[in-house]
Amino acid sequence: MFGLIGHSTSFEDAKRKALDLGYDHIAEGDLDVWCTAPPQLVEHVKIVSAIGKTIEGAYIDSCFVPEMLSRFKTARRKVLNAMELAQKKGISITALGGFTSIIFENFNLLQNQKVRNTTLDWQRFTTGNTHTAWVICRQLEQNAPRIGIDLRKSKVAVVGATGDIGSAVCRWLTNRTGVSELLLVARQQKPLLELQSQLGGGRILSLDEALPEADIVIWVASMPKTLEIDPSKIKRPCLMIDGGYPKNLGEKFSGPGIHVLKGGIVQFFKDIGWSMMELAEMENPKREMFACFAEAMILEFENCHTNFSWGRNNITLEKMDFIGQASERHGFSAVGLKSNIQTLTV
Amino acid sequence: MQALASNNLTVEKEELISDALPDFASESYKDAYSRINAIVIEGEEEAYANFCDLAKLIPEHADELVRLGKMEKKHMHGFCACGRNLAVKPDMPFAKKFFSRLHNNFLEAFAAGDTTTCLLIQCILIESFAISAYNVYIRVADPFAKRITEGVVQDEYLHLNYGQEWLKANLDSVKKDLMKANKVNLPLIKSMLDEVSNDAEVLHMDKEELMEEFMIAYQDSLLEIGLDNREIARMALAAVI
Repeated sequence: MFGLIGHSTSFEDAKRKALDLGYDHIAEGDLDVWCTAPPQLVEHVKIVSAIGKTIEGAYIDSCFVPEMLSRFKTARRKVLNAMELAQKKGISITALGGFTSIIFENFNLLQNQKVRNTTLDWQRFTTGNTHTAWVICRQLEQNAPRIGIDLRKSKVAVVGATGDIGSAVCRWLTNRTGVSELLLVARQQKPLLELQSQLGGGRILSLDEALPEADIVIWVASMPKTLEIDPSKIKRPCLMIDGGYPKNLGEKFSGPGIHVLKGGIVQFFKDIGWSMMELAEMENPKREMFACFAEAMILEFENCHTNFSWGRNNITLEKMDFIGQASERHGFSAVGLKSNIQTLTV
Repeated sequence: MQALASNNLTVEKEELISDALPDFASESYKDAYSRINAIVIEGEEEAYANFCDLAKLIPEHADELVRLGKMEKKHMHGFCACGRNLAVKPDMPFAKKFFSRLHNNFLEAFAAGDTTTCLLIQCILIESFAISAYNVYIRVADPFAKRITEGVVQDEYLHLNYGQEWLKANLDSVKKDLMKANKVNLPLIKSMLDEVSNDAEVLHMDKEELMEEFMIAYQDSLLEIGLDNREIARMALAAVI
């Protein structure tokens, strides 16, 4: 069985959803009540892949909401308790969705392996980052030509280049896609220099320097709310792939020639009988989902019960190949730009 | 999953600091511990008596219930040793008052031969309360008490399990009574948690965490008994309002 650990996008959404599901005790509570709410296994689902393999899974809502981010201990508990629930339910492979894996990584929860009388078995969990990275690369390869960008001549800025997903994307683009130049953007210089050395190329730039040069921008770090960018400085056409969480790039950039694509989202080839993706505000919640969630499903389809994506900077091209091929074989495809976009020639 | 600018995830310094162990020798710690220690001693003592009463209500399981009760007695001695180890005199009058309402409800139910209410109070509510408190306490306890409490908490799951299994086997006939008893007694647990929260805070036991741990044990137990999510939500509501 596969598992997905997710959460609502806001406290208000969470309360609404809880009311729908009949969880009146938390739906009526304030944020303090939510902070004490246990994780809930809200849904079971059965899925048949494009090649006829059937798997079963469960969705666990951690009862975390982004409003809890400033409460370190609460956020930590929410993630660990949801993971413990997944393990107690005997789930073989569970993806950490939304803020869950971010909290796990940034708050270093590896040191909290014991939860009550359960010792968490890390092999049962995956961040899903390998599939997310692969999907973002596919989105770039498939959508850039559609808006008139020739990949061989394009400059691609990766914002958050030194992160787990960012570095994997950089490796893929360098070795597999043949873009003209990589523009590496991140906050810390040392890891940037290390990445540049590993890649054997790429130019390190600040965000302000990189944006006017980039034909394609891959965001794998969410933008600070205060960030102001002058759209007139952005090249046209420009493809922006929003691989961060939450997905707020569309609010910052708009205008003719700027195409913003929700990054790391996949579509299954047929409807899935669940309501869980409505929580994540997918456009087509019966089919669309975060690529990280899909990774748990793919691993289950493949009987690959291991923490496939784990730790930082462990994503290899071989792993991306494996997960990408399995993804397509079982019926997943990367979500693209809307079909009515104007195709430009260069 | 996906990345986030890490400046959105700043960890408050004081929150990290409060992960540290308290000063077990400080006067404020000892003062708070005198009440918390008394609560666990009294809780285990009453649990022993409650299991002996349950043995009378369910004579076919009398041997098992007395055996479970004796474990509680052993726990009580262990916690008395924890107090002595820190040179703390437990405030027993405080603890007796702390448990009085819940204990009276148990005694009334026992007198009325109401096995469901007795099991809910002792095996589900009190044991969930104990499990949650011990699980939180283990992380911040002095080394001596930590060792004692780790042994105790495993036993408490056995006690919870007894009530769970009995209620599960009899759910069809006792569901209504179980919900009624829960409505009366769950709010008492909530107010007991509130009452002890300041002292618990001194011991570095977070009130929010205590409540969440309780809700996890309580919810798991009700699920195991055979109630569905909506029924559990309705029952848990009594702890919120």
